[in-house]
Amino acid sequence: MGPSGSGKSTLLHTLAGLDTLTEGSVYIGETELGSLKDRDLTILRREEVGFIFQTFNLIPTLNAQENILLPLSIAGVKPDQEWYGKVVDAVGLSDRLDHRPSELSGGQQQRVAAARALVSKPAIVFADEPSGNLDSVASGELLDFMRTAVREFDQTIVMVTHDPIAASYSDRIIFLDDGDIVDEMTDPTPDSILEQMKHLGA
Amino acid sequence: MLRAAIKGVFANKMRLSLTAFAIVIGVAFVAASFVFTDTISARFDALLDTSATGVDVYVRPAPPETGDTFQNAEFGSIPEDTIDSVLTTPGVRIAEGGVVGFAQIVNKEGEAVGGQGPPTLGYSWSIDRSLSPVTIRDGNGRGPEIAGEVVIDANSANGNNLSVGDTITVLTIGAPEEFLLVGIASFGESDSLAGATLAMFTLDEAQRLFGLEGRFSAISVAAESGVTPEELAANISTTTNGDIEVVTAEESNDEQLEAISEGLGFLNIALLAFAAVAVFVGAFIISNTFRIIVAQRTKELALLRAIGATGRQVTWMVVIEALIVGFVASVIGIGVGVLLAIGLGAAMNAFGLNMPEGPLTLLPRTVIVGMAVGLIVTVVSALLPARKAARIPPVAAMNEELARPKRRSLHVRAVVGSITVGLGIAALLVGLFTSVNGGIWFVAIGALVFFLGVSIIAPLAAGPVATVLGWPLPRMFGVAGQLAQDNTRRQPRRTASTASALMIGVALVVFVAVFGASIKSSISSSVTDTFPGDFSVQSTNFAVGVSPTFTEEVRSLSEIGNVSTLKIGSAVVEGSNTTIVAVDPETITTVTSIDVSAGAFESLAETDGVLVLESVMNENGWSVGDSIVIVYPQDPGGPIEIAGTITSTNFGDFIITQSSYAVGFSNSTDYYVFANSADGVAIVDARAAIDGVAADYPNVKVQNKSELIADAEAQIDQMLVLFTGLLFLAIIIAVLGITNTLALAIIERTREIGLLRAVGMVQRQVRRMIRWEAVIIALFGAVMGVGVGLFLGWAVVRALADEGLGSFAVPMGQIVILVLLAGVAGVIAAIYPSWKASRLNILDAIAYE
Ligand SMILES: Nc1ncnc2c1ncn2[C@@H]1O[C@H](COP(=O)(O)OP(=O)(O)OP(=O)(O)O)[C@@H](O)[C@H]1O
Ligand SMILES: [Mg+2]
Repeated sequence: MGPSGSGKSTLLHTLAGLDTLTEGSVYIGETELGSLKDRDLTILRREEVGFIFQTFNLIPTLNAQENILLPLSIAGVKPDQEWYGKVVDAVGLSDRLDHRPSELSGGQQQRVAAARALVSKPAIVFADEPSGNLDSVASGELLDFMRTAVREFDQTIVMVTHDPIAASYSDRIIFLDDGDIVDEMTDPTPDSILEQMKHLGA
Repeated sequence: MLRAAIKGVFANKMRLSLTAFAIVIGVAFVAASFVFTDTISARFDALLDTSATGVDVYVRPAPPETGDTFQNAEFGSIPEDTIDSVLTTPGVRIAEGGVVGFAQIVNKEGEAVGGQGPPTLGYSWSIDRSLSPVTIRDGNGRGPEIAGEVVIDANSANGNNLSVGDTITVLTIGAPEEFLLVGIASFGESDSLAGATLAMFTLDEAQRLFGLEGRFSAISVAAESGVTPEELAANISTTTNGDIEVVTAEESNDEQLEAISEGLGFLNIALLAFAAVAVFVGAFIISNTFRIIVAQRTKELALLRAIGATGRQVTWMVVIEALIVGFVASVIGIGVGVLLAIGLGAAMNAFGLNMPEGPLTLLPRTVIVGMAVGLIVTVVSALLPARKAARIPPVAAMNEELARPKRRSLHVRAVVGSITVGLGIAALLVGLFTSVNGGIWFVAIGALVFFLGVSIIAPLAAGPVATVLGWPLPRMFGVAGQLAQDNTRRQPRRTASTASALMIGVALVVFVAVFGASIKSSISSSVTDTFPGDFSVQSTNFAVGVSPTFTEEVRSLSEIGNVSTLKIGSAVVEGSNTTIVAVDPETITTVTSIDVSAGAFESLAETDGVLVLESVMNENGWSVGDSIVIVYPQDPGGPIEIAGTITSTNFGDFIITQSSYAVGFSNSTDYYVFANSADGVAIVDARAAIDGVAADYPNVKVQNKSELIADAEAQIDQMLVLFTGLLFLAIIIAVLGITNTLALAIIERTREIGLLRAVGMVQRQVRRMIRWEAVIIALFGAVMGVGVGLFLGWAVVRALADEGLGSFAVPMGQIVILVLLAGVAGVIAAIYPSWKASRLNILDAIAYE
């Protein structure tokens, strides 16, 4: 978390291999990202990284199922049906799989994106304000699913958010300001987060 | 608004410049056509003017009523003694008679020089040099003084390494003869008179060679000082009869200029036709581009509306953008057109059709017409998108959903499209199959409306066609292939109108291919049907036939049996100008099989009458035994009896006897000589004998049936290559249209492509996705084009069935190749947009708002 302009998105992008660092290094597993060419970096993203953006997560011409399976079909890999079934069940979209994005609500679209992020069993999932555009009910459904992914599927997720309630779903919060880590908190609740933010703001 | 429009142009530089390309090409062709013909007229004008000699008046045979529309030029003449009365006419200072006829120079390699383009002429050398445009520069010899001497033009001499002192062979209508080259002639500053090859002899020699003993082709007259050419002409007219015409030198020059520009008319028409095609294809691309640009700027335009711009102002803004683009493209187009005209001149020189030297002529008219064409087409094409821009509601600025254009009912489109297609086809068929006035316009406009109609319906087909054409893609290339296919289906209008631009070029190429293949197959069947003999001989010179002395020599060969000839010329039959064929009715059936009514040739021989094509008989309500009036170039003619009917179309509409022909025409050469080997002589021996005679006549070609067919086919192929080459320009324009549409689509899909890259699509896959989208669009256009082209070809071939175009042939191989080429063109069209898409910065793409 952090104020606007504090570098949250930038950090996420560099961690995910979408942006390059001017100094320092990023490792995903054993792989140092800075040394990779575009092609290897792309393949690493495909295999080891999942994404959920704030908006425009889905390809409009593909239906929900095709969007979920997109990283696998790009790689030309057959999906693990059991795993796919689990993810789709958990995300609660079994009856919406043949719908196009334009036929889904905003919350459903974000959950499709979340399912897509998980389907290739990545080492890590990055989510940049995934619930930023959702109402509280849809937001709750999405965050529930993300927590399920962490608890039950052992998935690591890094999420950027402004919303203390969304942040309270996480196990650990890092606070950024002006490009630097300024604070850290574990097992947060909405209240403790609000408290901390007031501190930092002052 | 003006400022906003200018900003809009700059913001869309890239896409607009691709669009403008189509206009540049169209305007360039228009401008080239004008510049080329104006330049040629001006240069000939100058040439004829500087060569305007001391001659004030020409006395010459009255022009034949028939004109000389056919290639075998008629050389009329007047009696030599006409000059006596001319010389005694008041106001005449000098008068000298001369002759002109056919003469073709043979070079050192034994090849006839020229003959496939500009005329090959012979003249008498005038004694009074002030009456001639021809000069001999110092060191280039002198004029002919005795029989056996010749002067040739400098261009022919230089091009064939001929110099004074050489002995050269000259072909005339008689036997080839050798002459001593005594001089090399120029025309003022120029080496050549529009590429014509000229040989000049003494008057007596020329009269003998051209069969004009005791005759003049014309008398050149110079006036005494103080007498105007008009006065002189009037004076001379009083002494001459109706067979003779008196014209001033100026009138004669004007006639020549007119003849030259008429001769170049086909080029002019061809250039303007290609301009029309380019402009038509361009209109699709322009309208597509503006439609996409308007769609992409919906929010911006809506914002303008929200802050108070009226719908009309928004329309104007788009129209002004179109005006700016049209203006710039037209200016460039005129420049390119001038270059094109220069290139065309160079090409003509390379083909031996020498243009006189001189400056280029760019008339204000050329600039005005070029600009008007460019501006009007651009603005008209942008008009619909501009109107659409005005209908964007101001709320669209706030709401993405409202910004999406509403899909209009497909039913309306289907109905409007079908009606348009129907109207186009109706006009086409009326033009082709009825004898309506201005039929060619019905055909042209019908084809245009037909194209438009197909393009209106095309969006309905885009989805299903993309499904079929793109079927293998997901299987072959996985998700990249699937997305390529999906993307073509997602905006059927855009896909269809991009493909429609390609359709036009492909349809025209297919049409030309079908037409050519049909002519070829008709030729081979008509040759097979009508020429059962062993050999056919024709002249390689476009302007003259086979020398009758050649025919006599062949007749006298013991290896050769039956020989019969076909002569050809222009005559006026019952008031209308037509081509007429002359045969020897006694022998023609031994070497050809012309389908005629029973006993027709016997009665033709008996009555010295005429055979008429059955359908012409029916059209005019004539029957055998009726008399019709035929006027010949050299003879007013008179009523002539219809001796029978011709039932096949291969020999024209009218056949007369060669004895009638000899009276009516001055041309004594044979258009075709048909010969059989004598009984018991092997074909090879007969061939060797006839080839032996032909060796002395470098301007004849001896062919057997298969050579004849191959030769005719080769000539058609040449034409086809030329036309197809030019039509490929239309295809290139359309391919640029695909590039343009894709480039615009990629801008729209920036975020989508960024997302695909983020979740793991490598650059190669992105390029593949764009490439196959382009290929589907291209194939869609090609498939529509093939369909439309086949239909057009079928209609035109059927309409010309009466003119001897008996068979309808479809060159499948060529069409398949064309479709494959279209696919390749799609790949090429995608090079730039796919490269651009694969290099999109992912961060920019996903952060894009
Ligand atoms: N560590 C850093 N070093 C240099 N520049 C940085 C760093 N972190 C962020 N920036 C710069 O700060 C700007 C804002 O960063 P960023 O968009 O990541 O902020 P944010 O926290 O995501 O803001 P928001 O909450 O508005 O989305 C960017 O231009 C980025 O380049
Ligand atoms: Mg951010």
